[in-house]
Amino acid sequence: MKYRRSEEMSPPPAVPVTDVAITRFEHVYEVAPELMTEHVLQQEFPNWDTLRLVHSRADHLAWMHRHFAHTVVSGEELLHELDG
Amino acid sequence: MTVTALSDPVLGELRQILGDEHVLTGKADRLNRARVPAPFPVHRWAERLPDLVVMPGSTEEVAEVLKLANRLRVPVVPRDGGTGLTDGAVPLRGGILVDVKRLNHIKDLDLDNRTCTVGTGINALKLNERLAVHDLIYPDDPASYPCSLVGGRIGTSGWSLIGSRYGHTRDLVLSFDHVLPSGQVIHVGDGIGRKITKSSSGYQLKHLFMGHQGTLGIATEATLKLFPKPEAEFSPFWAFSDYADAYRCVGLLARAGVATFAGAVLFDEWKVAYLRRDDEAYIPQPSSVKALVCAALYGYADEVEAGGRRLMRIARDAGARYLGDEISQGDWAARHDRYATPLHGRTKSGQVAPMSWHCEDASINYTNLPSVRLAWHEIADRLRRESDVFDDWGMFAYTNGATGADYLTEIDIGIWEQRLDDRTWAAWVRAKRDLAAVALAHGGSISACHGSCREGEVDLVPQELGGGFEVMLQIKRALDPHNIMNPGKYLLDQAYGAPS
Repeated sequence: MKYRRSEEMSPPPAVPVTDVAITRFEHVYEVAPELMTEHVLQQEFPNWDTLRLVHSRADHLAWMHRHFAHTVVSGEELLHELDG
Repeated sequence: MTVTALSDPVLGELRQILGDEHVLTGKADRLNRARVPAPFPVHRWAERLPDLVVMPGSTEEVAEVLKLANRLRVPVVPRDGGTGLTDGAVPLRGGILVDVKRLNHIKDLDLDNRTCTVGTGINALKLNERLAVHDLIYPDDPASYPCSLVGGRIGTSGWSLIGSRYGHTRDLVLSFDHVLPSGQVIHVGDGIGRKITKSSSGYQLKHLFMGHQGTLGIATEATLKLFPKPEAEFSPFWAFSDYADAYRCVGLLARAGVATFAGAVLFDEWKVAYLRRDDEAYIPQPSSVKALVCAALYGYADEVEAGGRRLMRIARDAGARYLGDEISQGDWAARHDRYATPLHGRTKSGQVAPMSWHCEDASINYTNLPSVRLAWHEIADRLRRESDVFDDWGMFAYTNGATGADYLTEIDIGIWEQRLDDRTWAAWVRAKRDLAAVALAHGGSISACHGSCREGEVDLVPQELGGGFEVMLQIKRALDPHNIMNPGKYLLDQAYGAPS
């Protein structure tokens, strides 16, 4: 495992998604930076911490499913049955 | 009687009752128990401070505190999770704040009668972690699920996200110990039974002592109804190109009569616009998406799959586009925990501003949802024109029950609390009164979920209840002759001669 601060503090280039949002990592969206210049300023974040937050959120949501029920039914499978 | 500073003898007596460590007088202890997530005039925070905080460890200690307060005419405000949206736990006249978080024990778990008895300071998520060992669940599921407490749910008569399947707090709490303002302890339920789900004996006092927002005493120990932990969950989300189709679809789903149906939610165009700027599930959605519907089913896998198949067919025939498993499952899981949502609004120029989430609710019949939606957004638009402090975050409508008659209808308003001043606060109070007036004009109730005792909407409670409001005043005066319990709430000072 290697860690280079310069790499971690250099996020991938921003790709516009809509007129108010960008993406730098797959399925991770951010407010367009130009909208965060007056009242709320963007913070510098290492890449690993951005991805840690995203994965933690996914872990939390998976935990919440298990908390309320043992299994989750797939709508895609039900729809496939209906269409088939 | 208003008390602004409690004297040493009061402190001394409280310390004798509770022990020194459970009587808190520090500034941080008081500041942190002054507010709730409801719209809060932070520029007037000092007006909402309690004089001190007590943390009783038993029903007997709560009773002794109330006896003392009643004798000395000191205001008392009960506080549970402090997550309510109608200021029930906010002191308006100082006094003693009773924080019940130490009453957090499971006293009894009755597997044969499927009940448990708990201190009211327990949280449903923590309770359910313990119940899961027995494959059971207590399905009271507010947006504050991880942080609200059973006692607050009783004091609010709360609404549950999956209440169309399991019932709401009033259905799930079978009975409880309740300390009256005099300090007398009574047990209320259906009849007097602790584990009885239906009785026709005497007045149904359980309902009287739920939803009173701390104005009639403090619940300390409750017996709850339990269910098997669901084997399966299904939570489809669908997109629509216009609100009218989504509205028609949610009605069809709610009226379908599927036994495992736990709820459905309708998102309007303003809500979709809000999500499209800030929610990772909706930012990439095409601009043709104008409204959303979701449903939730719980039960055994074979039941849920059969019901789910039926709802998927209904939605498909109504023109819905299924959003896929990832969005459906992720968004539904997040609905159990709305208080953890990071919040930022937008000024009119589009700049991000730190805003708090403020949710106004009402109970509205299905047929009136479209017109209430338009009238409420007009009010939100007026606020937005008045000041950058406000942002319209759109509306939800959640089924109240399994037959689809009425919906918990919410409009979310972002408020930049740090910028509030007397002018913008007055604008907000006026808007709340207007939102409540729209609900009543459409035959609805001012609140399905939060209660209605805040500034603004509370002015219309006598109009909603009619002659029932005079009965409320008479009950308050009879049970709390010195107005010690949460004074200043629900216009109940009128019971003691304050002008109406």
